[in-house]
Amino acid sequence: MTSTATNTTVRRRRAFSRKDRITLSAFVGIPTAFHILLVWVPAIGTIGLSFTFWSGIHISDIKWAGIENYNNIFTGTPVFWEAIWHNVIWLLWFGLIATPLGILLAYQIDRQIRGHRFYESAFFVPVVLSLAVTGIIWNFMLQPGGFVQGILGRDISNPISFYGNYDINTYVILGIASWRHIGYIMLLYLSGLKSVDPSLKEAAAIDGATEWQTFRKVILPTMKPVNIIIIVITVIDSLRAFDIVYMIYGSGTGWPILGILVFQNISGGGMSMKGAAYAVILFALCIGPMITYLKQSFAEDVK
Amino acid sequence: MSEQNNGISRRSVLKGAAVGGLGIAAGGSLLAGCGSKDVGPMKWGGRGLEESSVKWHEAVKAAYEKASGNTVTLNMNDANAFQNNLSQYLQGTPDDGFDWMAGYRMQFYADQGLLEDVSSVWDEIGDQFADSYKIASTGSDGKQYFLPTSWYPWGLHYRKSTMTELGLDPENIATWDDFMKMLEATKKKGLIGYALGDKGGWEAMGTFDILNARINGYQFHVDLLAGKEKWTDAKVAEVFKHFEMMIPYMNKNVLDISWEGMRDLLLQKKCGAMLMGSWFSGDFKTLSQADYDDLWIVPFPEINPEHGRDTIDAPIDGLCVAANGENIEGGKELVKWLASKEGMQARLDSGNTFTSANKGQDTSSYDPFQKQQLAVMGEAKYITQFLDRDTRQDFANPVVAPAIQNFLRAPKDINKILESVQAQWDALPAL
Repeated sequence: MTSTATNTTVRRRRAFSRKDRITLSAFVGIPTAFHILLVWVPAIGTIGLSFTFWSGIHISDIKWAGIENYNNIFTGTPVFWEAIWHNVIWLLWFGLIATPLGILLAYQIDRQIRGHRFYESAFFVPVVLSLAVTGIIWNFMLQPGGFVQGILGRDISNPISFYGNYDINTYVILGIASWRHIGYIMLLYLSGLKSVDPSLKEAAAIDGATEWQTFRKVILPTMKPVNIIIIVITVIDSLRAFDIVYMIYGSGTGWPILGILVFQNISGGGMSMKGAAYAVILFALCIGPMITYLKQSFAEDVK
Repeated sequence: MSEQNNGISRRSVLKGAAVGGLGIAAGGSLLAGCGSKDVGPMKWGGRGLEESSVKWHEAVKAAYEKASGNTVTLNMNDANAFQNNLSQYLQGTPDDGFDWMAGYRMQFYADQGLLEDVSSVWDEIGDQFADSYKIASTGSDGKQYFLPTSWYPWGLHYRKSTMTELGLDPENIATWDDFMKMLEATKKKGLIGYALGDKGGWEAMGTFDILNARINGYQFHVDLLAGKEKWTDAKVAEVFKHFEMMIPYMNKNVLDISWEGMRDLLLQKKCGAMLMGSWFSGDFKTLSQADYDDLWIVPFPEINPEHGRDTIDAPIDGLCVAANGENIEGGKELVKWLASKEGMQARLDSGNTFTSANKGQDTSSYDPFQKQQLAVMGEAKYITQFLDRDTRQDFANPVVAPAIQNFLRAPKDINKILESVQAQWDALPAL
């Protein structure tokens, strides 16, 4: 027994030549070093900074603050709760409306409904634009004096208040975000659907399954890896939302959202620690559901 | 625009991270007292990408190069992005001289050791400025870190032609009642009485400043912003009561437009008057001389006779020298010339519509609008800088801006809003 084990170990060790080992450690080591340097060091630095008072300039000026910044945010900053509320609505909207719409669209296009090529390209176009560009385009369209206002015959003294009216601006922003998100989800799902073996669907049809049953019992489980990606993307995109809002409202508090608060506090002077605390809250919100979900799905895979 | 913003932040974040808090003292004054005019090539960081702003920067740069024989590299930046990124910019590889503002915003960076002491420049050309400017240029250690170049008033701007058509004469508005009558008359003719935008969150601070100064006086205003008075004071509520009285005469889309929108409302003759800093007049001039000639400014009317019209927001703009610049002596030479009478003359000659901060400036070349700006500022006994320059930065934009936006959305909530503002002030860390 002992000798076999030793033999195996020795054989394994011998399998890697000296050169192999150097190459391997370089391939693993260099990216790891960069990852630690560029991701973990700043992340841990940010977490540390969020527990201090600091003007953001001299290291020697840092003072320990305990949980004071968090206390300030949770109990003394009403705009934080407005921002959280906007993030939550964003997540619900994406999760319940935009993402399902994207999946539905992908499914219909995959079934090659009439005009599917047209729909595919029409919904695909916004995906190639970055979120910042999306924000710029829609700002030009809807702002006072913008294109849509012009079509409606409204001049700058008499525009429809798309961005300033708090009864509707949330839906305007979410509509703009969905414009891109639906196409993105459609694209991801479509590429997944293309790889589903058509014989599965045929088999289901022969067994007398309805369209809905086929989708739910056959397609959806086959698409599990794509489903995970889509859920992750939906949650993360909703929480880290920033670009579109920044392009429309700037760094002010016109329509507060967590990403904007991080930026507003870190840029400018003397409150980087509060911005860091916002960033940590955002990080905690993102990482919580992600870990839970990924753990669960990996556990099922192992089973 | 965004290209440039990104350029700055990326570069400065990387470099800033590398330099960290360490290299600050390195600049020092190794070269001090070398006295030579030949100081090598230097860099100038300019704020403002509007056509009018770029134009005068380039004209002044050319004039300096001609006068001194030195080479200047001019880097123009978007004004807001530059402001947001300043601390990273100054910790990275800043330009030697750069456009900045007087008062609290300068002092903060001077205290952090990011600005170069320019007392030696003040020794040379200090007699060209009034004492109040020296105070505004002085850091908390008593040394000067700033050279003033221009200033502009926050006053009621209007188009003379519009007011003539309406049969109104804003120059003769003496009281709040007259002012309300003017707004009413403008509204009756189907125009916006008082144009306001607050999408950016700072634009409406000007209206708050002037109402507070008119109703409660300079001292209360300054003390309030320094935290010595309370936002929950009935005096502050009184300010917002007046603010609320103006809302019916405003455009209905205050939160949709920023200062550019206000400018355009006036430009397109959609409104009677608006309160704004005169800096935007350059855009009128860029459009056409006729539009510029039509523009006029008067001080905001008196409300409380005890204070009359004794206060005005008249922010001072100017230049600083970065302590981390490559060519500190060059930076000092540059700002010395730019702020001097000759430098400002070159700027005025290029058609810039600001008024010079230089005491000895020959004002004979001023156009009527510039002379009126001087008159409006000259009338005031007390000069304030503007809310976001007169109080803590972690208070002005993160706290006061959303408070005023919330007030404009729901004026009846003002008491709750003011309580929250005071609570947020109380919760600020002592930095």
